[in-house]
Amino acid sequence: MSLTINTTINGKSVSGSAETSTSLLDFLRDTLEYKGTKLCCNTGECGACTIIYNGMPINSCVTMAADAIGAEITTIEGLADGDKLHPVQQAFIDTGAVQCGYCTPGYIISVKALLDRTTKPTAEDIEEAVSGNICRCTGYNKIVDAIHLAADRIAGRA
Amino acid sequence: MNYFEPKSVDEALSLLAKYGEEAKVIAGGTDVMVDIKYKEEPGCLVNIKKIPGLGAIQENGGNLRVGSLVTIREIETNSIVRERLPVFWEACHQFASLQIRNTATVGGNICRASPSGETLAPLLVLEAKGKLAFADGEKSEPFDSFFQGPGKTTLGYKGLLTEIEIPYPPNGSRGVYLKHAVRGAMDIAMVGVAVLVTPDAAKNSLQDVRIGLGAVAPTPIRATKTEAMLRGKPVDAALVKEAAAMAASESSPISDQRSSAENRRWIVEALTRRGLQQSWQAATGKEVA
Repeated sequence: MSLTINTTINGKSVSGSAETSTSLLDFLRDTLEYKGTKLCCNTGECGACTIIYNGMPINSCVTMAADAIGAEITTIEGLADGDKLHPVQQAFIDTGAVQCGYCTPGYIISVKALLDRTTKPTAEDIEEAVSGNICRCTGYNKIVDAIHLAADRIAGRA
Repeated sequence: MNYFEPKSVDEALSLLAKYGEEAKVIAGGTDVMVDIKYKEEPGCLVNIKKIPGLGAIQENGGNLRVGSLVTIREIETNSIVRERLPVFWEACHQFASLQIRNTATVGGNICRASPSGETLAPLLVLEAKGKLAFADGEKSEPFDSFFQGPGKTTLGYKGLLTEIEIPYPPNGSRGVYLKHAVRGAMDIAMVGVAVLVTPDAAKNSLQDVRIGLGAVAPTPIRATKTEAMLRGKPVDAALVKEAAAMAASESSPISDQRSSAENRRWIVEALTRRGLQQSWQAATGKEVA
């Protein structure tokens, strides 16, 4: 059984059709061709597929495509303003927080959601925000550096 | 696969009656979506998330009523839960990852009836009840008798959990939820232990004590023999040691990829000891000596 899904992605109204068993991740990648959101564990454990859904970071691989109906979604494609990268993206580059890069879109989305809530995150806030994201290259220290740098830049402290 | 978005509990119940074992209820989807991908696609998916009225947290006298569609994150960020039900709060706080907590519902965690379900041992020690809706009426059931085995509850294929009712623990009581897992986040508990103690007025003896064990039996369980042994006794290190060993003997764990059964029994013993020590100290200001 197939559903028509009208949703808002990165501020734009979009529409597509999906099987009822389809995940939101597969709908984004395969139907709408938003390939920035990554497929990895496909069981909600690694965070590579993280998107912002009605203001909250969620794993799109374990969310039904049907749940996108009427929702506001932000994917990694929605962060840059033209050629100007989002401060979180720029901070990941500047601190060298990217190794193979596969987990990076998920991390950047989790960090954006965190910095949307607070630009003065504590160590505990940071741990909570990204402990659902796994970097198999294990570049965690630089990711934490990037989070601090992005927070400082967004708050005008750097 | 048939798919429905019922708009009322009655509509959901008639779908469950019509499709029977073929029907699968979905809410947050964090477990069911994985089953659809890797196990079996059900004949019929009943998405209950559009049913109004199941998403609130409300105080009701000495109880907190939590709708079955409330997410784990909503519970974690609720100030009443944090203040009045810290054992439940701790379980929700340690639950998976932020992404999953934003999606997963408390009703889903309960109805999944996984022995390691994070909220279950805490709900048992809090003596919470579920409000169950069936075609022939509603009933309130303590979670003690609700869990029948892994994935099995008294709902069968016919009922729907609509609300949980959690009584506030007795005045002066303190509790903890301790989870043992390899990784802090995103890991399923090898063992989870919830403890709630109420000291007597003199703060010498245990007026009441409740111990819930997760991931060490086909369902979450209360260590009832240990509780009975402890009740009324003055607290010292020897008693706590005896209770911890007894709780381990009340568990019936299996060996799986996360832990051997033997290791799980040791962890039950260690966490029960620690849980009793910490709760006693929090309740009385005195260390167990």
